[in-house]
Amino acid sequence: MAVAEAAVDRHPNTETAGAPRGARSQPRDLQRTFQLLLATVWLLDAILQIQPFMFTRGSNGFSGMLNGLASGNPGWVSHTITWNATIVDHHSILTNTAFALIQFVIAFGITSKRTIKPALALSIIWSLGVWWFGEGAGQVFHGGATPFGGGPGGVLFYALLAVLLWPSTGPDQPFVAARTVGVAAAKWIWVAVWGLLTVLALVGSGRSPKALHDLVAGLNSGQPGWLARIDRSSESLFLHHGTTAAILLALVCVIVAVGVFLPPQATQVTLVLAMVVFATIWVAVEDFGGILAGGATDPNSGLLVILLALTYWPLAGTRPTPITPAPGLTTVAKEA
Amino acid sequence: MGTPTWLYYLSGVLMLAVAGYGAVLLVLSLASRRPAGRDVDISHTSMGIAMAGMFVPKWAFGASAVWELIFGVLMVWFIARSIQSVERFGLHVPHALVHAAMSFAMLLMYWFPMASSSASGSMAMSGSAAGSHLDSGLGALLALVFCGSAIFTLASPNKGASHHGTHLPSYAMSGASGSGTPVGSHGGEPSPVGNIEAAVALPWLEDLSHVVMCIGMAFMLILMT
Repeated sequence: MAVAEAAVDRHPNTETAGAPRGARSQPRDLQRTFQLLLATVWLLDAILQIQPFMFTRGSNGFSGMLNGLASGNPGWVSHTITWNATIVDHHSILTNTAFALIQFVIAFGITSKRTIKPALALSIIWSLGVWWFGEGAGQVFHGGATPFGGGPGGVLFYALLAVLLWPSTGPDQPFVAARTVGVAAAKWIWVAVWGLLTVLALVGSGRSPKALHDLVAGLNSGQPGWLARIDRSSESLFLHHGTTAAILLALVCVIVAVGVFLPPQATQVTLVLAMVVFATIWVAVEDFGGILAGGATDPNSGLLVILLALTYWPLAGTRPTPITPAPGLTTVAKEA
Repeated sequence: MGTPTWLYYLSGVLMLAVAGYGAVLLVLSLASRRPAGRDVDISHTSMGIAMAGMFVPKWAFGASAVWELIFGVLMVWFIARSIQSVERFGLHVPHALVHAAMSFAMLLMYWFPMASSSASGSMAMSGSAAGSHLDSGLGALLALVFCGSAIFTLASPNKGASHHGTHLPSYAMSGASGSGTPVGSHGGEPSPVGNIEAAVALPWLEDLSHVVMCIGMAFMLILMT
């Protein structure tokens, strides 16, 4: 390859350089890798926050989007949401700039080992605030929360991941999520999460064919053609088999919940099941959070659930992660 | 309250800053015969100028076909570099691959241009007016990749790897990070060019320019969706 050879000529020292191949076989600090993946999603969110319409006042802007989340909630919840939306409406440039900056700070803060703890703490506080004011408390209070639509609120998974990925020393075994909170606590957190998803799949509008149909129909405006076609299939499926789909999802959630107590190989099967199901939901129901239609502030829950599932992947049998990783090891696989 | 034109001007200025920094690095590397990073310098300079013209259309110049040719050549070059790296060092993600993706994204931006606002001279709020649209799935995927590149670059202990990868020795990367004879030195005495390079070609600054470019590009791609 002539071009490649030319590159070698331009860099005559490359043949004596580079990390020894042995260094590449060193175990990676997976907790750090997951932290950076979480930071990547935060950075994407920050960029989504500076889309032009976010700075716009009125019903077509960010404040309009927030106001729309108030309807259906109990009065005391609804008032807080509209109060916040009013402030955003009156100071759209200032508030949205601040919101974007906070998310940039979280994303960049996670990249440094000196600032990761404050950044993750901020992310937890921010996530809870966004869940309440920006997601209408995940529609939990009026029965509209369903895992198909991101219930109980996609942003809660950011907070959960911040807790599970809180920096700590020690090995990644038996799975990364256990490194900070311990194996037992991590497993019960998992059970609680999937138990909640099970309940939400079955209660309220979660099992209503029309509600599920409308959930997809409300998102498909402005989507690219290929996604709109998938949406139409989802709408049809939900309209005719919505209740069955909800029950099947609940069944999957139960299997996944108990999966962490099974032998590692069986756990892996349940985790793959969880990832496949939520990847499908992310694409075919959540429409990637609406990002592709140009009106979203985050990618909704699907991507985060997959990331969460990966932190529970059994690692027994692999070599332990060194407590103090040597410089240069954490990013070997990602040079740029 | 409407289109935040200040945001586009800010983005345009940042892109020009990256372009200017890339141009300085390129001149210094030619003067000092620094062996690595020239392709990335050329890439960042071109992308910075081109993207500044996209954020603020009145700053744009040059025929689209010329820019498309430039980024097409850069993309092929970086793909070749990526293949070469895999052949030499085994299966890994070569740093040149993200530069190839950035060149590809630039091509997409020229193939599916955004509308511009005649009143403000900056970009319009909504998507393409050129008839054809960039598939928003592809745009969002590339935006996510560039966000990842920015985050992993910032977190990398291998400063300067965004320009040089992790396979070059430090003395080949820049005067500033050199552990041996300073680049551009003659007979043990650092030359003026070597001194300037030592002050300017800082690995963390090279990474920062890459991060700014990644974020600017991700923003542009999100705007195009």
